[in-house]
Amino acid sequence: MGTGTNGELKYEISQNAYIKLVLHSLRHKTAAVNGVLVGRISPNDEGVVEISDSVPLFHSNLPLLPPLEISLIMIEQHYVAQGLSVVGYFHANQRFDDVEVSGVAKNIGDHISRYFPHAPILLLNNKKLEALSQGKDRSPVMQVCILMLRAVRLVAAGTGGSGSLCVRDASKNWRVVGADGGSKLLLKEPSANVVLSDYISSEKWKDVIDFDEHLDDLTKDWLNPGLFN
Amino acid sequence: MVMKTEERELNQLENQVENGGGGVWEYLSLVRKLKVRRSEIVLKHGLSILNDSGKRSALGPDEWTLYEQVAVAAMNCQSLAVAQNCIKVLQKKFPESKRVGKLEALLIEAKGMWEEAEKAYSILLEDNPLDQVIHKRKVAMAKAQGKPSLAIEHLNKYLEVFMADQDAWRELAEIYVSLQMYKQAAFCYEELILSQPTLPLYHLAYADVLYTIGGLENLIAARKYYAATIDLTGGKCTRALLGICLCGSAISQLSRGRNKEDKDMAAQELESLAATGLEKEYKQKSPAKLNLLSSALRSLKLS
Repeated sequence: MGTGTNGELKYEISQNAYIKLVLHSLRHKTAAVNGVLVGRISPNDEGVVEISDSVPLFHSNLPLLPPLEISLIMIEQHYVAQGLSVVGYFHANQRFDDVEVSGVAKNIGDHISRYFPHAPILLLNNKKLEALSQGKDRSPVMQVCILMLRAVRLVAAGTGGSGSLCVRDASKNWRVVGADGGSKLLLKEPSANVVLSDYISSEKWKDVIDFDEHLDDLTKDWLNPGLFN
Repeated sequence: MVMKTEERELNQLENQVENGGGGVWEYLSLVRKLKVRRSEIVLKHGLSILNDSGKRSALGPDEWTLYEQVAVAAMNCQSLAVAQNCIKVLQKKFPESKRVGKLEALLIEAKGMWEEAEKAYSILLEDNPLDQVIHKRKVAMAKAQGKPSLAIEHLNKYLEVFMADQDAWRELAEIYVSLQMYKQAAFCYEELILSQPTLPLYHLAYADVLYTIGGLENLIAARKYYAATIDLTGGKCTRALLGICLCGSAISQLSRGRNKEDKDMAAQELESLAATGLEKEYKQKSPAKLNLLSSALRSLKLS
């Protein structure tokens, strides 16, 4: 994308992808949970990443590799047939007021962005989620974090009088963008929060299946077909 | 930890209770016995009994146990007024009671008043320095305040005294994993395996941690523990079967260009048995995903 900065890129998340992730966090209120975002670069606008679906992954032992590796393999293989791939990562911290991007979130984010540059990390914003029932806020209850690559330059006093510039290793930093991330992350369907509030009232989160549950009981489907019927 | 049969019974009762089919007292008793957390449901139905004087007196002396159970459930759901009321009733019935004192301290903790709660727990500990529940509250408070290193410190001190407490070892392991301190987590699982070598859960967790740390030796060890898990579960553990396949792939990647020390026939047979086992499981329980599994296994062999 030109200069390599993320300045122009926007993320548009579909209602189903969005709601599924929030409901998953509500199902496991006392744990950290995570999920992956599935989608593609918009065929109509190169500056927009369409997040058309999401897969809730785990609600225990998030930093362990084996379940993560197998889930990513299977998820990629399933969606490649639809021309989609894993385009980002979702994370909800265990504690209500914890707004940090944890180590495991950064590691998984790094990994995903190796395959899909500009993959975002979406962090659940608990305060906004709590306020949902009270307000008419239409912005998503998530923060967007983007990977900033910083090249550190060293000026070395060289022989021959002139200094030489060399680029040290780029340090990677995941930064929350925007005050509420609202301008970078767009809800494709503007009434998504209304639908989400409805589902919360009807305790729909009880029906969300994640990869953890699938591994414990293969009859449970992490694709959650029929969740929104 | 809850066994599968117990969990099934619990879920059945829960469905029954939630759909108005009665059995509330059996359900609440089972929740107490299994020490599981079902706070919203316990609160809802427990309160309906407590608010009905007829049902309440029918409980006899169990009434006070129910007040205690509902108080804790209310605190979990942040219904602090309800909790306060239950505690008041208990205070009236059992003045000077240490058990009620614990509930009072728990309520202070639930309000987020950490320093006061610390003080309250310290006072309770003076009279009973070996009270495991109170020691664990200190760990819980450290976690709740986002101080995992303090939680670890408390837990380690606790385990010096109560080294047979498997729940505590598991909690410590999970905190270490959440901080990506895998080697320390591995140590905890080693302790657990030593104390209960026939429990597949610990072998599986240990294998997962070893795999995550990585390196050839750890991968080979992980494979052994996945194999032990499969042995202990009669081949039914999907996670362990997948673990074998992941190990095989990772090991062959690492030993490429080395002396092929992993070409031990047993390992290869193990992998193909695991793959067959997985395909059988998927065919039976999740046939729609069988293709996904097969291509995942293929990509592991190739990578």
